Amino acid sequence: MSLPVRPETDRRIDDLLARFPQKGSALLPALYLIQEETGWVSEASMEYVAGKIGLSPAFVSGVVSFYTMFHRQPVGRQHVQICRTLPCALRGADALMAHAAKRLGVKDGQTRADGAYSLASVECLGACDRAPFVQINDLEFGPVDPSGLDDILKRLE
Amino acid sequence: MAFEPLLTRNIHRPGSESIDVYLAAGGYQGLKRVLKEFTPEKLVEEVKASGLRGRGGAGFPTGMKWSFLPKGREKPRYLCINADESEPGTFKDRLLIEKDPHLVLEGIIASAYAIECHTAFFYIRGEFHQGYRTFEKAIAEARARGFLGKNILGSGFDLEVIVYRGAGAYICGEETALLESLEGKRGYPRIKPPFPAIVGLYGCPTIINNVETLANVTLIAERGAAWYAAIGRPPKNTGPKLFCISGHVKRPGVYEAPLGIPFLELLNEHAGGMLHPSRPLKAAVPGGSSMKILPASKCDVLLDFDSLAAAGTSLGSAGGMVMDSGTCIVGALLNLARFYAHESCGQCTPCREGTGWIVKILSRLERGDGRPEDVDRLADIAFRIEGNTVCPFGEAIAWPVDSYVKAFRDEFEDHARRHACPMRAGA
Amino acid sequence: MSDPQTPEPRLSPPPHQPNVPSPVASTGGPAAAAGPAAALAAPAGAPVVPGTAPAPGAAPALPQTGPDEVALLIDDRPVVVRKGTTVLQAAEKAGILVPHYCYYPGMSIAGNCRMCLVEIEKMPKLQIGCATVAAPGMVVRTNNERVRGVRAGIQEFLLINHPLDCPICDQAGECRLQSYEKDYGRGFSRFAEEKVHFPKRYDIGRSVLFDAERCIKCTRCIRFCDEVSQSHELALFSRGDHAIVGTFPGRPLDNPYSGCTADVCPVGALTWKPFRFKARVWFLKNVPSVCAGCARGCNVNVATFRNRIHRMTPRVNAEVNTYWMCDAGRQSYDTLYSRPRFERPIVRGLPDATVEQALDRAAALLRDTAKTGGKESVAAIVSARLSLEDHYMAKRILGELAGITRLAVPPHEEGEDDHLLIRRDKTPNARGAELLGLGAPSSGRVREILDDVASGRVKGLVVVGEDLLDLAGVAPATLDRLEALIVLDAWKSPTVERAHVAIPSCGYGEFEGTMVNFQGRAQRLRAALRPPGEADPAWRILRDLGRRFGLTSEYATAQAIFDEIAAKVPAFSGLTFRALGDLGAPVRGAAVPGAAGAPGTVA
Repeated sequence: MSLPVRPETDRRIDDLLARFPQKGSALLPALYLIQEETGWVSEASMEYVAGKIGLSPAFVSGVVSFYTMFHRQPVGRQHVQICRTLPCALRGADALMAHAAKRLGVKDGQTRADGAYSLASVECLGACDRAPFVQINDLEFGPVDPSGLDDILKRLE
Repeated sequence: MAFEPLLTRNIHRPGSESIDVYLAAGGYQGLKRVLKEFTPEKLVEEVKASGLRGRGGAGFPTGMKWSFLPKGREKPRYLCINADESEPGTFKDRLLIEKDPHLVLEGIIASAYAIECHTAFFYIRGEFHQGYRTFEKAIAEARARGFLGKNILGSGFDLEVIVYRGAGAYICGEETALLESLEGKRGYPRIKPPFPAIVGLYGCPTIINNVETLANVTLIAERGAAWYAAIGRPPKNTGPKLFCISGHVKRPGVYEAPLGIPFLELLNEHAGGMLHPSRPLKAAVPGGSSMKILPASKCDVLLDFDSLAAAGTSLGSAGGMVMDSGTCIVGALLNLARFYAHESCGQCTPCREGTGWIVKILSRLERGDGRPEDVDRLADIAFRIEGNTVCPFGEAIAWPVDSYVKAFRDEFEDHARRHACPMRAGA
Repeated sequence: MSDPQTPEPRLSPPPHQPNVPSPVASTGGPAAAAGPAAALAAPAGAPVVPGTAPAPGAAPALPQTGPDEVALLIDDRPVVVRKGTTVLQAAEKAGILVPHYCYYPGMSIAGNCRMCLVEIEKMPKLQIGCATVAAPGMVVRTNNERVRGVRAGIQEFLLINHPLDCPICDQAGECRLQSYEKDYGRGFSRFAEEKVHFPKRYDIGRSVLFDAERCIKCTRCIRFCDEVSQSHELALFSRGDHAIVGTFPGRPLDNPYSGCTADVCPVGALTWKPFRFKARVWFLKNVPSVCAGCARGCNVNVATFRNRIHRMTPRVNAEVNTYWMCDAGRQSYDTLYSRPRFERPIVRGLPDATVEQALDRAAALLRDTAKTGGKESVAAIVSARLSLEDHYMAKRILGELAGITRLAVPPHEEGEDDHLLIRRDKTPNARGAELLGLGAPSSGRVREILDDVASGRVKGLVVVGEDLLDLAGVAPATLDRLEALIVLDAWKSPTVERAHVAIPSCGYGEFEGTMVNFQGRAQRLRAALRPPGEADPAWRILRDLGRRFGLTSEYATAQAIFDEIAAKVPAFSGLTFRALGDLGAPVRGAAVPGAAGAPGTVA
C-alpha cells in the first residue's frame, strides 16, 4: 500500500514517535507534517497516521475535526483568515469581511472554484492592537482596511 | 508616572529575539544566580515570597501552585508553558514570545529548576506561526550556549524544552484541556480533582504556567523576591504587569505598568484616550472577554486582582477592551456569544447547549426579532450555566451575559420592545 | 478520559434493566406514612427505602468504621462505604438514587452530563457525585432546593436540542430523559428557537442504528467500544453543540458486542435494529433467564409480548457476564422463528399420530431393534444444549431403563474464547452433561457411533436435540440405514424428516431448567413462552417414554428432577431452585481454575 506522504515525511513522523514520553502526543505534530506536505488531511492520511501511532482511525478523525487549523478538504492557495471577534469587530472587521467576500467572489468558509483563495472568518488571533487583523497562510497583516486588503491581495497575486 | 520597563525592557532593541542581544543586555544573569545560590526548595519559597500571581487569567499564587507538587519522585515532573493565548483582547504573551523569547525561556529554566522537572513543553497556539519559529530558534540558541540540555551551566541540572503547537481551539488554554491536547487528543478539560500538580501530563505531576508568569520569574531570579514584592500594590498584588488595551482607543497596544495602575490612566495616558473625540467611553472589559463588563460610570478602578474583584469584575488576562458610545452592547455581546459557542468543546451539558441557546436569543434580539421574555431568559440561562460545568468556560460565557444584561438592561429591553437595534435605527 | 481512582464497586448491581432509573417515591408514600419526624428526615421526592430512614429526633451520628471504610451523611442518612467509593455509589447504598446519564458501572467516569451535581457541605460549588470520592464526615445533600434547581436546569439544557421523537422512539418507557423530566424537570419547554439538526436513522453498524439528534453526548457508547469491546469504532466529532458521535468512513460499528451500545445509551440515539418498532417496552413481559448461545450462559432478560420473544438484554451478574452480552447471544432466539417448527409428532406410516402413539411406537422400535441386533446395536446422541433435567432423564431413561449403553454428546465449537465473554464452546451445558455422567462432548465418540450406523452395526439411534446432518461429514444416506431413528427436537430438521418417530420438544425460552456453564456455575433458565402445539420439554418426553420401560417415579416438574439431582449427584448437593435464584451458584468442585470471577473489565 503506497504511503499518502513522501518517505521523508514518513521518517519525520517516525522521529516524532520517539520524541515524546507517550506516542499519542505525536498525533498533532504528525498531522501538521502531513498538512504541510499535502495541504490538507485526507481520510487516507488519517488512516495512515492512526496506524503509525497505534490509534483507531475514528479517534484520529475525531481529533482532526476538533481543531480548526486542520483542513479536511483542500484549501485555496491563499487561505485568507479575517478575525471576527469583538476587538476587531469594534474596529471594522465586519465591513472588511464583507469587502473580502465581494472582492474574492467567495462566501465565508468557501474555497474559490479555481483554488486560488479560501476565505474564512476566524476567532481572535491575539493581535487586537492591530485590528482589524488578517492572516493569509502564515503571513500576518494588521490593521487592515478594505483598500489595504486590496493592496495585500494584489501583492500576493 | 515614570516606570522602569522590566518585562518590556528589550522589546524595542533591534534583534531583541536573539540570544546575543539578550545576553548583551544582561540576560541569563538571573538564571546563573539561582542555579548557584538557591536550592530548588529555596527558589520555590522565593517565588512564594515575591507574591507573584499567575498572569494567565486565574491569578493563582505561583509559588503556592508549585508547592502542591507531591514529595515523591516515582514519576517524572513536567512543566507546561501555556502559550495558547486566545482570550479575546489579549496579546501580551505574543509580544514576549516574538520580541523577547529569552526573557521567557530564562524564566522557564529557572522554574523547571525550582520544581525539579527535566522536560518542559511550550504549548503555543497554532496560529502564532512567527512565535513558533522564533521560540524554536531561541531554544536552539540557548542549547548551543549551554543554557539548555545536560548539566546547565555546570549545575548538574538537565532540561529539555519541547515546543508543541496547538491547532485552533481556545479551550486548550484551560490547563487540563492543554494537557489533553498535548497528549494528542481532543482538548477536553478533565474532571478535577485530581489537579494537574498531582495527576497531570501522562498522569505525572505537572505545573502549567502562563508565558508572562514565567517572564516574571526571570525578574525574581535577577533581583529577588523582596525587590519584586515592593512593586505594584503589595502584599497581594505585586509585580509589573503587561496590560493590553484595544477597541475604541487611539493607541491600542501592550503597556507595562505596576499592578494597580488606574484603568483611566491606562486608557488616557498610555492608550491616548478614546478613538473618536465625539464618542465618549461607554463601557470597558478590563480582563479579557470572559470577565464582567464595567459601564463607564464604574471604570474608575485600579487594575489589579483584588481591586477588580472588589469592583465586581476581574483582572483576568488583562485583555482590556474599550467600547465607545457608538457600540451596540447587544451586538457586542452577540459577537462574544458566537465566539464562545464556536469555541465550546461540547463536553458538558450546560455549556454545550447553553452557549448555542444564548447565541440564538441574541441573534433574534439583534435582528429585531426579540420577545419580551428574552432578557430575563438570557440572565437565567447564564445563571444555570455558572458553577455547573467541568471547567471555567461556563463562567466565561455566563459572566459576560450576566454583566452585560445587568449593566445595560435598558438596551436589551429596547431591542426586544422596538424589534430593532436602537443604534442602527438611528436612535 | 479515565479516572485513575476508579474503585471496584462490588456494591448492589444497577437496576434490573440498565436504562430504567428506579422510581422516586411520591410524597404521599412511605415517608409520610412513617410519621412526621420521618417525613422531615426524608425530603420530599427522595426515594425512601423502608428501614433506612434515620430515627427521629437527635442529629444523625456517624457510625464506627473499620480501617478501610468511610462514614458520611447523605440527606441526613448515615452510610458506611469502602474507601474509594464515590458519593453517587454511596448514595445508592443509602437507598438514595442520584439521577445521572453518563455514569455507567463497568466503564470509566466521564462526568459530562452534570446531572448528578449534589451539594457537599464546605464546598461552595456543587460537585458531581459520580466523580467525588466519599470522604469521612462528608455531609451531602442530594435533594434540596438548590440541587433540584440545578437539576431542572440540566434537564432543560438536554432537551432544548432534543427532537420530540417520543411517539416513534423505541426508548420510550425506558428512557432516562423521559423519566427524569417527569421526576426532576420543569415540565414544559422555554426553548423557542430552531433546534440543532443531525442525521437521523444513520446506519452506524451492522446491527445498530444511530439517531444523531437524540444523542446527549454522554459518551457511554464510545467508552464501551474503547474499554469493554476494545474495538474503538466510535469517537466524538466536531465540538460545541455540533459535537456528535460517529465512526470513521468505511469502519462501521461492527464488534461482537455492538448491541451493548444500545443497552448503555440512555436515550433512543442507538437502537438495536432487530428490535426497532417491534413492541413498546411497557407491553413486554420480562423473564430472567440465561442465554443458551455458548458455554458462558450470560444472564439475560427475555422480553416477550403476545407469546413471542422480542428481545434479549443482559442482566447483571458479576461472576458470569458483568453487565454485557454478545450480539450473537442477543439474537440467539431468532431460530425459534427462522427455523421451521413441527407441532405434532411425526410417526412414519401413521399420520396424525398422538404423542402417546408416538411414544408407544418409539418404545416398540427400541425394544425390537435391541432384540434383533443386541444391546450394542442401539445408541443415543444427546445434545449439550439441553438442560440438566433433560440430561438426567436421558441418563435415567435411555441409559438405565432402555439399556442404551452407547451415549455420545456432540461438541459444537467455533472460533476462540475472546477477551470478554464469548466462548469457543457453543453449547450451554457441556459441563452439565459431564457432571451427570453422559460424558464430556466428544467428536470421537460421536464419530464411532455414526461409523457404526454407516456400517450397520448400530441399527437404532435416539437423537435428542441435535440435527445429525449438521455434524460434519454425516450423509443423509447414513441415516437411512437405521431401522429405528427416534428424534426429539424443537425444529423440523432434516434429521427429524428422516425419523421413524419424531416428537416435538421445547425451543429456547419454552422450558424451565438448569444448566452448568464453563465456570461450573449452575444457573436457571426460565420459561418465557408457551411452547407451540404438542411440544414439551425433552425431560418430560423422556419421562413418558420411560413409563413404557417401567418408570414409576413421578418427576412431575423440572424442579422435582433437580431436587433428585441434588440428592443423588454429590456435586450438586445442597442446591435447590431457590438457592440458585436469579444469579446461580457454583457447583461443588466443578469450578474451572481461573475461569471463576468476572471476565474483562470489572468495575
